[in-house]
Amino acid sequence: MREAAIHGEPLIEIKHLYKSYDKKPVLKDVNLSVRRGSIMGLLGPNGAGKTTLISILTGVIRKDSGSITVGGLDLDRELKSILSKCSYVPQTLAFYPRLTASENLEYFGALWGLKGKKLKERMEFCIDKGSMQAFVNKRVDKFSGGMKRRLNLAIGLLNDPEILYLDEPTVGVDTQSRNYILETIRKINRERETTVIYTSHYMDEIERVSDDIAVIDEGKIVLHDDKQSILIRADAVLISVEQMGDAAVKNLQQIDGIQVEKDSVHVKRDGRFNENMAGVFAVFRVHEVRVKDAVFGHRTLEELFLKLTNIRLRDED
Amino acid sequence: MIKTLYILKKEFLLIIRDIHAVTVLFIMPAVFIMIMSLAMRDLFELHGTVSIDVLAVNQDTGKKSEAFLKAMEDLRTFRFHFIEKDTATDKVKEKMLSGDYKFALIIEENFSAFVEKKGKGKDEKPLELLVNPAVNVQTQLVLKSALEGKLAKLRWDAFIDRIGRLLALAGIDRKKLKAAEESPVEVNYVYKGGQYFKVPSAVQQSVPAWLVFSMFFIVIPISNTFISERGQGTLMRLKSMNVSRFSLIMGKMVPYLLINAIQVAIMIAIGVYVVPLCGGTALTLGDSLGGLILIAAAVSFSAISVALLIASVARTTEQATTIGGVLNIIFGALGGLMVPKFVMPGFMQDLANLSPMSWGLEGFLDIFLRNGGVSDVLPKSLSLVIFGIVMLTLTVILLRRQREV
Repeated sequence: MREAAIHGEPLIEIKHLYKSYDKKPVLKDVNLSVRRGSIMGLLGPNGAGKTTLISILTGVIRKDSGSITVGGLDLDRELKSILSKCSYVPQTLAFYPRLTASENLEYFGALWGLKGKKLKERMEFCIDKGSMQAFVNKRVDKFSGGMKRRLNLAIGLLNDPEILYLDEPTVGVDTQSRNYILETIRKINRERETTVIYTSHYMDEIERVSDDIAVIDEGKIVLHDDKQSILIRADAVLISVEQMGDAAVKNLQQIDGIQVEKDSVHVKRDGRFNENMAGVFAVFRVHEVRVKDAVFGHRTLEELFLKLTNIRLRDED
Repeated sequence: MIKTLYILKKEFLLIIRDIHAVTVLFIMPAVFIMIMSLAMRDLFELHGTVSIDVLAVNQDTGKKSEAFLKAMEDLRTFRFHFIEKDTATDKVKEKMLSGDYKFALIIEENFSAFVEKKGKGKDEKPLELLVNPAVNVQTQLVLKSALEGKLAKLRWDAFIDRIGRLLALAGIDRKKLKAAEESPVEVNYVYKGGQYFKVPSAVQQSVPAWLVFSMFFIVIPISNTFISERGQGTLMRLKSMNVSRFSLIMGKMVPYLLINAIQVAIMIAIGVYVVPLCGGTALTLGDSLGGLILIAAAVSFSAISVALLIASVARTTEQATTIGGVLNIIFGALGGLMVPKFVMPGFMQDLANLSPMSWGLEGFLDIFLRNGGVSDVLPKSLSLVIFGIVMLTLTVILLRRQREV
């Protein structure tokens, strides 16, 4: 796991973040950085701490300890200034069902301090991005699930945010709307250079939309890397072994292109695969490591996620 | 300012599109005011007196009997139901029993002669009162005394007129002599707490009572919106948009203050214009617009504060509706909205003072009924505002604990 940004300048930096509810720790020593202009996919099972982390970043709740800087500004001291550059799209449909889409956009836009021509322009932009022209004057309680999700996202774009926090933005929508939302997020990221923090249960979505991926489980970041590195790690041979001693682990760590844990070794299927496999087995021989199992072939992000979080997915929604 | 306008617009749209809110805030009190003003009209207007229906036959052809009947009707205690003048006494008795009348009054044809002391029958009895034996003695006495009193006054006036010339020669004012025979007794009702109390009419009681009641029902739309905002994550979104706790609370307070103000205007208009069209008496407004605004604003502030507290305590709209509804009905029943305070026994009147609705009602009655002004409603308004501040403080503490605002 890498703690610093892989590419580009880090925009959000979280260090030693702790948060408890009623003495029950929810976030434990979270360290994470998010690159400017990237899409960070935040994966985690229910109760892992994703929403708490986003709630802290968006000023909805306060952290217990640790430091967070956004664009070099300290979250505690410069919250107002930071929030003016951010937008949060909650997992729930956070708008007024008895209002029309247009009335909702107008209301939230006004709360962002937009007015007159500027408000109209931003509303039009959001209507366009949500592809809502046909139903903009309809009451939202008449909308389908997909339309509601698009509006939820569109409201989040009103202030042209530098950072967009999306909490499970595709829950409960049909495939078409899901594709549309993912495309829109990608477009916004490319065209507006918006940094996106995206939580989802759907591995395929994260794989499709993210530049970087962080996996959070039981309040800890258990994996954080750029997508390519993670996918390469996924496309590997997994050799399960009996618990290795420190010397064996140290020797194996000398070999390039493999990742070592005490009970397993991942060997990437790259150009040096054969050479690396020979090296791994040489170390096994020297340290008398007993191989329990070896799995060859492509491992999906989901398999990796399940292994890292040591659980099954509990909520596919 | 622009933000406030959009917040107002949003809240208004949410309310007018919520049929339950419109019903509770506008239709329910309007209907209550209409029904109660008309249904309770007689009870209120005849408070302190007895409503007595009297079957009447006027066989007199002179003007004095007409003046006599008018004087009796002006007492607003008796309602005369006239039948043909040539109806025989037996027929009158029959009609009296068949029509369930307790009394029948026969004004004999010598009535005017008796009053004026001239003509045929001037020494014969001019009135015959037929009484149902089931009527209690006190009620009989009320009618008999009234008849005797008015007849005596009429005869006195006639006497004055007869000796008018002599009086003029002696330099005595005829009008003064007549006025001296008016009742020398001034009646004032003493209300618990020491102040003089004027009994309200049905509309004077109903409009403020149901107005205050409906203003407190603001709990329904406020909790609906607030709980939805909380459940749907809108509050989280607003918080992440830098909207302060103060703005959030003001965002509820200001629109609903205006909605309460609209309720006040509509309910008063119903009392003034609509109730009379249906046969009730019109609401009188008093003279103090400032006092009316003050008490209305104070009731509104306290109602909204209670509503916000309930919305914060309740987890679902059903819970809020139940808690709010029950609390309002208890406040209303206790506070003299459903049963007027002046008919309550002393200890219940003491208990009534615990209800903020009672403070509001009394404030409105100060304005509508007692011609009070700002200084009269100030103590009640202050009580309501302090009550509202306490409720609001509890709301903020609760919301902080819930980490939701």
